[in-house]
Amino acid sequence: MSVEVRSLSFGYGEFRLSVAGLRFESRQVASIVGRNGAGKSTLLKCLGGVLPVPRRSVLVGGRDLAELKSPERARLISYVPQEIAPALNYGVLDFVLMGRAAFVPTFSVPSREDRRLAEEAVGFVGLAGFEDRDFSQLSSGERRLALVARTLAQSPDVFLLDEPTTFLDPRHEVEVMELCRKLAVEKGKTVIVTLHNLEMAVKYSDEMVFLKKGRVAASGPPDGVLSEALLEEVYDIPMAIVPFDGRKLILR
Amino acid sequence: MKGKKGRLLIILFFLLPFLLTLASLSIGRYHIPPADLGKTLVRTVLPTSFPGVPPEYRDILLRIRLPRLLLALLAGAALSVSGASLQALFRNPLVNEYILGISFGAAFGAALSLVFLGKGFPPQIAAFLFALGAVLAVLLVSGRAGSHTVSLLLTGVIVSAFFQALLSLIEFFANPYALQSLFFWLMGSLSLATWADLVISLPVMALGTAGLVLMRWRLNVLSLSEEEAAALGVNVRREKLLVIVLTSLSTAAVTAVAGVIGWIGLIVPHLVRMMFGADNRKVVPLSAALGASVLIVADDITRVAASFEIPIGILTSLIGIPFFIFLLGRSRKVWL
Amino acid sequence: MALTLRTAVAGIVMTLVTAAGPAAALQAGGQEALAVRDSLGRNVVLPRHPEKVLSLQPEITRIVAALGAGDRLVGADYFILKHDHLFPIVFPGARDLPAVSNTPEDMNFEMVLRLDPDVIFVSPTELQMVDALQGKLKRPVAALASMGSFEKLVEEILLVGEILGREARAAELAADFRARVASVRRAVASVPAGERPRVYLSFWGMLTRTPVAYEPVDAAGGVNCALGMLPANLGTIATVAQAEQILEWRPDIVLVQGNYPPRERTVTTEGILRDKRFGSLPAVRNGRVYYTFGFWYWWDPALVLVETLYLARLFHPEATGPFDLEREANAIFKKYYGIEGAYSSLCRVLECGGWDER
Repeated sequence: MSVEVRSLSFGYGEFRLSVAGLRFESRQVASIVGRNGAGKSTLLKCLGGVLPVPRRSVLVGGRDLAELKSPERARLISYVPQEIAPALNYGVLDFVLMGRAAFVPTFSVPSREDRRLAEEAVGFVGLAGFEDRDFSQLSSGERRLALVARTLAQSPDVFLLDEPTTFLDPRHEVEVMELCRKLAVEKGKTVIVTLHNLEMAVKYSDEMVFLKKGRVAASGPPDGVLSEALLEEVYDIPMAIVPFDGRKLILR
Repeated sequence: MKGKKGRLLIILFFLLPFLLTLASLSIGRYHIPPADLGKTLVRTVLPTSFPGVPPEYRDILLRIRLPRLLLALLAGAALSVSGASLQALFRNPLVNEYILGISFGAAFGAALSLVFLGKGFPPQIAAFLFALGAVLAVLLVSGRAGSHTVSLLLTGVIVSAFFQALLSLIEFFANPYALQSLFFWLMGSLSLATWADLVISLPVMALGTAGLVLMRWRLNVLSLSEEEAAALGVNVRREKLLVIVLTSLSTAAVTAVAGVIGWIGLIVPHLVRMMFGADNRKVVPLSAALGASVLIVADDITRVAASFEIPIGILTSLIGIPFFIFLLGRSRKVWL
Repeated sequence: MALTLRTAVAGIVMTLVTAAGPAAALQAGGQEALAVRDSLGRNVVLPRHPEKVLSLQPEITRIVAALGAGDRLVGADYFILKHDHLFPIVFPGARDLPAVSNTPEDMNFEMVLRLDPDVIFVSPTELQMVDALQGKLKRPVAALASMGSFEKLVEEILLVGEILGREARAAELAADFRARVASVRRAVASVPAGERPRVYLSFWGMLTRTPVAYEPVDAAGGVNCALGMLPANLGTIATVAQAEQILEWRPDIVLVQGNYPPRERTVTTEGILRDKRFGSLPAVRNGRVYYTFGFWYWWDPALVLVETLYLARLFHPEATGPFDLEREANAIFKKYYGIEGAYSSLCRVLECGGWDER
């Protein structure tokens, strides 16, 4: 399921996001990077239908995002926020099960199939055995994984993850990014993430989009598009790219 | 509460209201010997049997105790389920079923009817209509603001205060004949409803409660932030409205015939969550069962403790609060 | 532990109930002032012979009028001036009096200060309010009510007479009142206890609301079913009985308050006779459901005498013998208020002509 941004313009207050000609393919992980306030979250929310978009500005699998109804859209594309503030302390499986909302009619309860899919999602993200644990008992990283599991249970074709590695310790950071790759490679999903950690972005993405002040500064595969000049332009500080052991280190 | 012990407890919860109803038929100031109780019940179906049984037994059972017990059963369920649903919807443990202005809307409607339409017009209808009117006012006024959830609560408080003020105004100008029964009704009592009232209000209560029980899993999803629920593909505005409509219908139907019965919608859902966790698939139906049981027991106590009528709201809190305190230390974390 | 607590609570309740007892002059505190113990047990110092009296207690207002001191009233409460059907008949000057309050909570303080009364009478229902009121208004406030007892009513008449300097008139009315009650009691004294009807009273607009003490019923040779129950609020004599309790009492007669116009009555004799819950009551089976006067806010001394006569004839017609109630009643009202045909006028409003017919 590809996501094509034809011509997207979204503004609030003094900020204006203006993006055109982007394309995200399935089986790939794409990362959107840039400074705080560059419009990364805004772009992601527009793609996810959380913020309203004009007609024919975003196409998902060839269909106009603005024309899709809520449940339809939820089956195609899902936005996973960076932080959630749950009010009630559900168990992990119950939490993940909520991802099936688009498939369960209003006056019904989830079926056995829904439950199976939820359990599968829990296993896929690496939380097997945690089904009965309360949400409050999970660590930050585990909560993030549960959130991804819920989105997985929703089985959209496109995953939009807003800063999924922020506030996580290095190990959990790696786990989450590995999971993103797994989603793309094993499940064939289109995965788009916003990141601050450039090294992670470089290591795990097939495609990178650099945003500056609401506009695309550059986009393309990391090897092709990454340069010190681009980094300085986007981040307004000089940075150095140091190759090491087949990977790239970015120093500031 | 997991496993077998939990399942057994759940079955007990659902049986309890019916057992209590049967037992409560034998409770009351007028002593009916248990043997005669059975005979009287048979007599209602086969009027020619057991001619020795005094006729007033049947009047008491059918016209005084049975309607009261049915009302306790359904009202307890309706109020608890409404409270549980709104607590999930508003993500707030302090919410009760009257939060959107129902109690004062109903009181104002009843007062208005008693004063201006006189005794010819039953005040229950006006109470019901104005209760729903208050909720409508809340929805319309808060619809102008941005964030849905917070403004609903705030507007509910304001609309309640508005109707309370109007009520005071009516009380001031009305003659005393008209408002006598109003004050008693405001304190909440199951003694005022007749079969004529129940024939109309019980189905409405049942409908609202049934709708909410069917939506019990949906409430889990609606208890997430609006952003999350929308991302999950839920039409948040419409479904929240649906829940509000169902809770308002149930609560207004109860309030119209029984007045304002406090505490049940607040405490019972908390008790259930403390015992069984936050999943509304369990919380909603179990709240119905526990709420019905609590109200039946509270009403039994009011009926035996004294020959005069004690306002039932006092008893519901006296029963509920000690349990609440007992469970407080022992329960798992429910609210985050 | 429980026993001591229960005894303590009972003790407190008893003290409060008996404190709502006879309003009496404690001692003559000199020519200018009179120390009085009101119905709430408060000791109040009232000025003798006040020129300006504000009475927010309808019973006291009526007594002041009956004592011939109605010209000293500067104001009264909302009920007696706007909703009472009797008072304008017996005291035509009522239409010029300002209505100062509905309940003491919504008292118009500015108006009170402008009227500048020397003494204020309120009803003891406003338990917590009275002291605060006195403090706020800086005038003596006395809470008085008869609480459904004849003796307390008589004491009230004497007390108000003493305060207003109309002792002679008060003594005359007190003697008359006692004599009439005594004669009724004598007439029914011969009726054995077993033949005294059990009476359930439905007052105050709700079928289940009933007075816990109502002496006209006792004096007329009946037994009030609710006698001795705890009132719902301290300072009143009303309680709410359970429907089942009414059935258990099995009253022979049910009396419904008829002291307001028929079109406004929420509880009616027809309604009770048709109520399927009470089909087994002796009163309903025998059709012995009648109107009586009752009261909204305490008694009118003349009317309660009339009521006692009416009830005596209703309960025990053979003991009282036949008599013209209307003529007797008009005579009582003439004695108390000096108005001709007052009872007949009231009866037209309440349509009380056929009340005890069956």
